[in-house]
Amino acid sequence: MSAVLTSNTTSAPLHQSSPGLWTLAWRRLKRDKVGMVALVVVVFFLLMITGAYTGLIAKNWSKEVGVSYANPSFLAGAVNLEAKVESKEAVAKVPYVDLSDIDPLAPRYKEWEERTAKIKVTETPRAESLLFGGDKWGRDVVQKAIKGAQTSIFVGLIAALIATVIGTILGALSGYLGGRVGDFMEWFYNVFSSIPYILLILAFAAVFASSPAMADFRGVPMVIAILGLTGWTGIYRLIRAEFIKHGSREYVKAAEAIGASHSRRMFVHILPNVSHVCLVQLSQHVVQFIKAEVILSYLGLGVPVDSVSWGTMLAEAQSELVIGKWWQLAAAGISMAILVTAFSMLTDSLRDALDPKIK
Amino acid sequence: MRWLVLKVGHRRLSGSLFAAFLVALVLPKLPAHAVEKKTLKIAFRAAETGFDPQKIEDRYSVGICENIFDSLLSYDWLARPVKVVPQIVESVPVGEEGGTRFTFRIKPGIYFANDPIFKGKRRELVAKDMEYAIKRFRDPANRSPYSWLFEDRIVGLDEFVAAAKKSGKYDYEAHIEGLNVLDKYTISFKLREPDYNFIYFFTLPIVVPVAREVVEGYASDTMAHPVGTGPYMLKEWVRRSKIVLEKNPDYRGHTLETRYANPADPWDQAAIKSLGGKTLPLIDRIEISPIEEEQPRFLAFMNHEHDYLEETPAVFIDQILPNGKLSPEMQKRNIRAFREEAPEITYDSFNLDDPVVGGYKPENVGFRRALILAHDRSQEISIVRRGQAIAAQSPVPPGLIGFDPTFHAIEQEFNPARAKAMLDMLGYVDKDGDGWRDLPDGKPFRLTYKYRATEDTARQLAELWAKCLADVGIRMDAVAVQFADLLKDRKVGKYQVSGVAWTADYPDAQNFLQLFYGPNTNISNDARFKWPEYDRLYNQSLKLPDSPERNKIYREMNRILVVYAPWRYGVHRIFNHILNPWVLGYKKHPILFTSFKYLDIDAVAQKAVMQQ
Amino acid sequence: MGAYIVRRLWQMIPTLAGVVLLIFFLFNWVGGDPALVLAGKITNAEQIENIRKQLGVDQPYWYQLWVFVKQIVTFDFGRSWATNEAVSNILITRVGPTLTIMIPVLLLETMIGVVLAIGVAYVRGTLTDRAIMMVCTVAMSISFLVYIIVAQYIFGFQLGWFPVQGWSDSFAKNIVTYAPLPIMLAVFVGLAPALRLYRSFFLDEVNQDYVRTARAKGLGEKTVMMKHVLRNAMIPILTNVGISLPGIFVGSFLLETFFSIPGLGREILTAVNRSDFPVIKAATVYLAVVTMLVNLAVDVLYKAVDPRVVLK
Repeated sequence: MSAVLTSNTTSAPLHQSSPGLWTLAWRRLKRDKVGMVALVVVVFFLLMITGAYTGLIAKNWSKEVGVSYANPSFLAGAVNLEAKVESKEAVAKVPYVDLSDIDPLAPRYKEWEERTAKIKVTETPRAESLLFGGDKWGRDVVQKAIKGAQTSIFVGLIAALIATVIGTILGALSGYLGGRVGDFMEWFYNVFSSIPYILLILAFAAVFASSPAMADFRGVPMVIAILGLTGWTGIYRLIRAEFIKHGSREYVKAAEAIGASHSRRMFVHILPNVSHVCLVQLSQHVVQFIKAEVILSYLGLGVPVDSVSWGTMLAEAQSELVIGKWWQLAAAGISMAILVTAFSMLTDSLRDALDPKIK
Repeated sequence: MRWLVLKVGHRRLSGSLFAAFLVALVLPKLPAHAVEKKTLKIAFRAAETGFDPQKIEDRYSVGICENIFDSLLSYDWLARPVKVVPQIVESVPVGEEGGTRFTFRIKPGIYFANDPIFKGKRRELVAKDMEYAIKRFRDPANRSPYSWLFEDRIVGLDEFVAAAKKSGKYDYEAHIEGLNVLDKYTISFKLREPDYNFIYFFTLPIVVPVAREVVEGYASDTMAHPVGTGPYMLKEWVRRSKIVLEKNPDYRGHTLETRYANPADPWDQAAIKSLGGKTLPLIDRIEISPIEEEQPRFLAFMNHEHDYLEETPAVFIDQILPNGKLSPEMQKRNIRAFREEAPEITYDSFNLDDPVVGGYKPENVGFRRALILAHDRSQEISIVRRGQAIAAQSPVPPGLIGFDPTFHAIEQEFNPARAKAMLDMLGYVDKDGDGWRDLPDGKPFRLTYKYRATEDTARQLAELWAKCLADVGIRMDAVAVQFADLLKDRKVGKYQVSGVAWTADYPDAQNFLQLFYGPNTNISNDARFKWPEYDRLYNQSLKLPDSPERNKIYREMNRILVVYAPWRYGVHRIFNHILNPWVLGYKKHPILFTSFKYLDIDAVAQKAVMQQ
Repeated sequence: MGAYIVRRLWQMIPTLAGVVLLIFFLFNWVGGDPALVLAGKITNAEQIENIRKQLGVDQPYWYQLWVFVKQIVTFDFGRSWATNEAVSNILITRVGPTLTIMIPVLLLETMIGVVLAIGVAYVRGTLTDRAIMMVCTVAMSISFLVYIIVAQYIFGFQLGWFPVQGWSDSFAKNIVTYAPLPIMLAVFVGLAPALRLYRSFFLDEVNQDYVRTARAKGLGEKTVMMKHVLRNAMIPILTNVGISLPGIFVGSFLLETFFSIPGLGREILTAVNRSDFPVIKAATVYLAVVTMLVNLAVDVLYKAVDPRVVLK
């Protein structure tokens, strides 16, 4: 039924050794200006999140350096009502209730007091304005966006990696072995692909969120698991087609003749020749999953409170727009847009570079 | 005539899309007399579940039931502190036989709203309807979330339920010793133990008489077929999207009691001016749509789509009430803000059975108290609540019977130095040099805090506590849990620290103090606090009516709670309800959820501004 | 053709069985204990046991699976755990609003997408082409969430062109008043990927031999594009529309939540938040069935449109 079955073009592979393919691809990519710019941006982001991960930058993103919703420095003088909220007490100034008669700690009150006196608590002054503004706790939005990039890209990369690995292994087994195994894999694929993707994600999320078995994996690992376990179907489809194509080619037959095992033929001989498909799919899925993370975080199924992602920033910023504090929305939205744009363009260029037939 | 047109219209609406289309085209062209119909449009913060009083618990569903059903007792609308008054009974019963017997006499001549199930006959409310409702609470088939109200309380009821469970047949005709229908209108309860707060149960909009033939006639979906004696009827219900109430034409009418009004309170005076002497209710139709997201709910009000907005989300408060005063824009629109100090508390409880945060030894107690001292509650109030909250000093909110305005303890005041000193003193110091404190025996530890997923405020609170504890050297992981799971985990003690809120079911401090009563573990004592002296005082307080003597016992109980610290007290929230100028006589009752019964609208002014 | 359809329908059975097994495995095995989810504000162990019995979770797994299969076949998924409403009723009443939004979205998106794509394909390789593609890529990289938040604020509130939220019983009022903003948003967001995709379809055709032949015949570029390329590119485009067709039943839960549209997506989301498993299970199984049927219909249509396709 599908186009795959009808494509029996058994022309010999142009480049049997993978270095040739990759070198050529790299040369083509270098000529592609847009691709190179995109690559630079992506590498920049990757360096940035490595820096954030190792603590070189944005280490103190959670420090409250400004007042609540500190203005961006270019709006330094603007009114900031939110910074001046004061708390009030219900109880008038009456003496504290005496507990010493029932308190098991009463014998140590004196020691406690002496120790307290020795501890100094210093409060750092808070800035009225920050480079690109502050969030409600007075944290620097730029630092938050950098740290948020780390989480979001990490989730996107790892989930895409998992999806690619699942899709590749299943696709390889199905395409190469065919027969019963192939039928079974096709069935498995059909099951997953017949459920609308969003619904599949929500179903997994609903189950994982209330499952006691998943209790220890809440937060980032859960998001990665949901995305990785549901997102492999497209990759499976493509890889399977590639393996069907390559399975009947001469170099694989030659490998068989010299006694290479099935697994060796699949993963040592064929895989390098289809790895460019994996790579393109991987980068495409990174983009898709970064966007999905935002939605999951918005739904409260995302990253934990002591870390930050673009998704949690957008979820937070949701109500800030109405009160005129647009900078968090802008910071997260723009940095995400830049990375995703660059990543998408890089994906396009990679595809062009790796597979010159498709334009 | 008008009613007829609309009723026909509705039948067609549910008929076919085409008919709906026609009606939509025709309706706006109806003669202008439709104007005099007063329609109120508002939003709820969350979706309702249904309107079978004995099957629900969420405040939104209960709030609707408040208008469809009549509880035996209710509250005077204006009196503060709140005052229990009879609603459909002749008087508020006094506890007889040492506070173990309560007898209600229902007023004759109160009728259920007309319903096809009554086959055209008027159906009078009788004492048996109340008995039936009480039995429904314990019927296992109903899974009533409020069945605990009548557990371990009425003589013979528990035995009856146990026997019914064994035989598999729940017989509504069976006679129960403590549940006596004395005559057509009189019902009398005999309790096992004295309990002066028993009368409060009969103010709850869920402890209401229901007609057995209605429940059985609509057995497949009782949630959608509430038939009561109250001022409104459920006209239309698109679940989780729209609730339409319309005036019950058979309703007897009620009036505003002005006796307890506060002459100095402008809201009371405005209510008297708009509603005094009139037969209520005045609103003909109420359309409610649940909008969970804060932005659309707020913008819908700002955009003239709703008449008022209750519980303005804290984030937007500076748009409406900068520095506690209405903003110029709001003033221009003549908008008013009603400020309500809600009878509730937000809190974090510790699981006292937990090996790390639990226990009653001095070092356990000191550890918990250090955690509380490390928490910066002023940030909770100023940033998370935007100033719309009062720091709690005890579990009892202000305004409740038994609240002690002179009670506050230094143990509740944010003081990181004292927290650190306490931790140092008890041996919770960093022994392995990783920068985080370890247990006195040298083992490293992390605390886990469970909070409600999908709620932004809960997340911010979790963020705040994790941050504050990090400042004194303690790691806390915050875990978002679906609300239902959170309640479950708390119930069975599968948590370390977790945060929720408790709102008064009735206006007595006991409703909050029962949350620490040892035998209530696995029921409502989620902290699993068990302290014999506390339980003794609690039992003693039950046997007393409201009195200085009982207040003294309450104070003693509060002292125990501060010392052993099963909770970190959060805040009592302040809600700001903002009203368009044509909303007349508005007042919010601290216990009752809705205000529809005592409200009017200037329909002409409304029509001029509101989006239709 | 008839034999083909029958065979395809037969092939759906194992897939459907797989979907059922997957859902059953997820919800009855991995998922938590529903009784605890249901128990209310204050409850006790006995009550929880009672709820478990009612839901049949104390039965062995094979029995629960049997119950599940029976539910699917009889279209009776029982009642929602959260509200006790019949699940079938929830699904039926929610499809209307979702389709009110999504059908116009799909139509507009396809039409505008095709028109723009053919325009872009016409000027392929020029600066305009590259610029438009660039804009598309950028537009695609902004989160849908940002679009909704900003658009609701600007168009609904600041400019006041549309109501911020709402829904009525009248289809006419919905389509005139409440639906335009969400529809426009969804079309705007969906347009960029559609445009990119359709452009690639057109370019695939442009390089085909028959186009070269047509040009060689001396036909003008416009005639070639409109007559030959468009007709042939419509096949992959329609296939693509077919693929996205089942998705419209789920709708966009984000749109439905923000604009208070009582649709399926919002319902499913509420069910996720309430751990209301029967609703999610029913929605998943039935939408899987719809997906399979729609795919079959698309394949058959494909055959009707393009006689070269051999149905296997």
